[in-house]
Amino acid sequence: MIVFVILAVPLVAAALACLPFRRLAGGVTFVGCLAVLALTIRLALEITAGRPVLAIPKWVAVDGLSALVLLLIAFVGSTAALFSLGYMARESHEPKRLRLYYASYNLFIFSMLAIPVLAEPTLVWIVVELTTLCSALLVSFENTREALEAAWKYVVLSLMGAAVALLGFLVLFAAMRAAGGDAYTWDGLIAAAPRMPPILLQTAFVLILVGLGTKVGLVPLHTWLPDAHSQAPSPVCALLSGVETTAVLYVILRLFPVLKAAPASHAELWAIVFGLISVGTAAFLLLQVRDYKRMFAYSTVEHMGIILLAAGLGNSAAHQAALYQALTHTLAKSFCFFAAGAALLAAGTREIGSVRGLIRTSPAAGISLLFGGLAIAGAPPFAVFLSEFSIFRAGLAGGHYVATGLLVLFIIIGFFGIMWHVNRMVFGQADGNAQVCLPASCLTALVFAAAPVILFGVYMPAPVHELLRLGAAALGR
Amino acid sequence: MSQRILFNLLQVLVVLAFAPLVTGVTNRLKEIVQSKRGPSVLQPYRDLWKLFHKDEVISEESSWIFRAAPYVVFIAPLFVTLLIPVLTAYPLFFAFMADMVGGGFVLALGGFFAGLAAVDAANPYGAMGASRTRMVGFLAEPVFIIVFFTVAFTADSTIPYIVQKHWVSSPAAFLEPSHILLMAAFFMLILAEKGRIPVDNPSGHFELAMIEESKALEYSGCGAALMKWGGQMKLFVLLCIFLNVLVTPWGLAGAQEIGQVVLAIPLVLCKILMFVFVLVIIESSLAKLRLFRISEFLGSAFITSVAAMLMRLFSL
Amino acid sequence: MSDPSTTFAVLGSLNMLAGGLFLLCAFGIVATRQVKGCLGLFIIQSLLLAASALFLGLQHGSWHLCGVALVNLIAKPVLIPWLLRRTVHEEVYSRREIDQVLNIPTSLLIALALVILAYFLAIPVQQALEPQFQSGNVAIGLAGLFLGAYTLAVRREALPLLLGLLAMENGAFFVGIAISRELPLLVELAIATDSLIVAFILGVLTRAAHQHIGSTAVGALAALKEEVQR
Repeated sequence: MIVFVILAVPLVAAALACLPFRRLAGGVTFVGCLAVLALTIRLALEITAGRPVLAIPKWVAVDGLSALVLLLIAFVGSTAALFSLGYMARESHEPKRLRLYYASYNLFIFSMLAIPVLAEPTLVWIVVELTTLCSALLVSFENTREALEAAWKYVVLSLMGAAVALLGFLVLFAAMRAAGGDAYTWDGLIAAAPRMPPILLQTAFVLILVGLGTKVGLVPLHTWLPDAHSQAPSPVCALLSGVETTAVLYVILRLFPVLKAAPASHAELWAIVFGLISVGTAAFLLLQVRDYKRMFAYSTVEHMGIILLAAGLGNSAAHQAALYQALTHTLAKSFCFFAAGAALLAAGTREIGSVRGLIRTSPAAGISLLFGGLAIAGAPPFAVFLSEFSIFRAGLAGGHYVATGLLVLFIIIGFFGIMWHVNRMVFGQADGNAQVCLPASCLTALVFAAAPVILFGVYMPAPVHELLRLGAAALGR
Repeated sequence: MSQRILFNLLQVLVVLAFAPLVTGVTNRLKEIVQSKRGPSVLQPYRDLWKLFHKDEVISEESSWIFRAAPYVVFIAPLFVTLLIPVLTAYPLFFAFMADMVGGGFVLALGGFFAGLAAVDAANPYGAMGASRTRMVGFLAEPVFIIVFFTVAFTADSTIPYIVQKHWVSSPAAFLEPSHILLMAAFFMLILAEKGRIPVDNPSGHFELAMIEESKALEYSGCGAALMKWGGQMKLFVLLCIFLNVLVTPWGLAGAQEIGQVVLAIPLVLCKILMFVFVLVIIESSLAKLRLFRISEFLGSAFITSVAAMLMRLFSL
Repeated sequence: MSDPSTTFAVLGSLNMLAGGLFLLCAFGIVATRQVKGCLGLFIIQSLLLAASALFLGLQHGSWHLCGVALVNLIAKPVLIPWLLRRTVHEEVYSRREIDQVLNIPTSLLIALALVILAYFLAIPVQQALEPQFQSGNVAIGLAGLFLGAYTLAVRREALPLLLGLLAMENGAFFVGIAISRELPLLVELAIATDSLIVAFILGVLTRAAHQHIGSTAVGALAALKEEVQR
């Protein structure tokens, strides 16, 4: 029951956002997202207490892994909605466009919330396509030449990947039928996996990995990511980078237990190789980037590679570390994009070379950018450092020395890349611009987004730990 | 056996007699579609009669090729008529003299001589037309080869009579995708080989834009009549191959008696009439392609034929 | 002529005929210059998809597949062009693409190579399936998928890019009607609705491009690189 309410709230908010009252759209969105957050926390608490939620037996079901992803979506949705209130008002758009923005925002949140909740893989595919479609208008919101180019590239590449993934899901269905399975759900697939013809299963996995990997941002299909993230408004970037990629990666991760149950498939090898390629390419690309939003986008590619690699390492400690990394990355990346948005408001340009002495121009923006850079690059005492460290430990315990060694190298390169750019922007001689004051809602959003990043670095509450454990168990069967 | 020789000669006579009729019907229909009255369908016969009774003027600079070409162009389609099913479904006396590839070579021989003759007369338009025809020809060659290969592969033979049996017998074989695609590719080939729209305008008078027509510009009198008649017969022969082997392999005489063979004549003419209808519709609704776009047109024909071949090879 | 095995064979041949023409339409979408021609070829391709579903349904006696054929018949050839007419400005339809990334005969040859590749990739998959699912749809659908992806690579105008995307989905679906026949009808309906939404959103994006940039040659936009100066 609670699942349907969670899904219904953003739809209602989208409908209400179309009404022509002045401040209604933004307020409704924020209140709706807060409501979703509250409901999701309650759902997660129920699941950690040991009661998995089965709403419609073959279609809608929520377990530990789903609850984790739901929680992430809800949290970033609320902070981004709060940030949008101030950010979009500052950017001075006409009210009709703002209503369109908030309506699309709510639809986007709805489609992302539906991903972990549905149990039938083809429906999940449909909702993944819906996320692309709902965010297309958000990415092209500025309506400049570059924004439209970025939006087209995003939509074309994502939908191309979605068509390939559709074929993968249909082949998976055929494989399940050949194995005599009955229910086309994630659990049903795991049950039927040992009897599936291996060639069909492998073909389906490769197709889905390549297809959905386009949306996640795995190299070499990542080319839309930097463009879309540099052109979209910052709260939308936070959603795209922080949550949407994680949600689609969740779908890929759901396939891992199915492949584990079938003998002689090399899913984990594919995952490690793809993951390493993504991390390496992103780390090197980070060194020569010129636009700080693109920098954070490449960092997303890097972290998606890290999560995929961790999932491929195989043992249950690695799975838990992978989910922990997903959690910390989402929180830290959304904070980074809020910081980037604040920097854009303060400095007026996206180029790294043109921004200097941010900490004098706007202390809030400067400090948040510095913290964001440190957090996402993996410095202690932030949460990302702890999760990456757990991945190292799990990798060494599992015997994957080469992979872990390369991972460490690439993460260090990425760390230097990010910190060099951030340092150049935050410190140094200011250009003499006047002090810029950020809107109150942006500052509040920054504080709210920063809190978990610092919190999870030092202390993990028991329910969260339990949720991670349940999620890893769902991955490792 | 003498009956089979007789039927063979009957085939040749049918082709000789009815080739100009096909051209006449085509021209009349095209004019009717354009809301005009058009010339009589027997007009090509009158043209041939008139040309045979005129004097011939031959340039002093030309060689024996110029004098010999009209005869080659006239005789080549007649040779091919001996090889293909025009009226009967069973092989006739000369049927095994050459197969499809041989027949294709003989037809090409006629075109070759026509091209040489056009260059021989030192008429600039003739040389231009000859080189353009060569361009269309070499672009169409791969299509021809792939079509022949697929047909031979499908029917296990290269003799047209035996190939025809393959598609007459079972509807499942007729509806095969490779067959339909072959029909499409061959149709595009006929349009290209005979210079119909969209490749060339057969009724145009502007020499700079001509491809096929300008090869016969220099001829007069008897030579012109033979070139014209030969061209019309080439179209008739190509249509017989297309219709009697690929598209509608039914309606041909099954037994060795003269009544059935004579009955097959109006049936064949009906089939050709249907084709002429389709041709006129296409000619009236499309525009002539620019010269460099012909390569795209023939490229599409090539792709169609290769798709047919692939479908057949992978036994789908 | 009326015994079941002949009907089975004839329906099988008809299905393969639909497949062959489907492949030709995919080639046409790669090479056709005129935008209206591209749209017409897409409509024909969707009709062939519905026809193939119908033939397979009659062949195997599955009402489910006939329902799928009906859904596809209404959604793709009818509703998608209607949606596109509503969202995209009329002027875009009269455009022709003068140039693609490669010239057309080379494009067609590369497309042919992709089709051969698709056939080779589809053979092991087809052999792993039970005999009742083997109908050659897998190879043609996969080829349609590859050709749609190739269209996205070489074409520059917005509407042919959109049609290439939808052609990719057609190809994936063409495989699906042969191998995953018992997919619940609800899911099939949802996939069809999804195609409609794709057409709508991309149509709106095309309109935005037309209004703000002035041309719809979105494939030719290449301003976002690392060296961009903002």
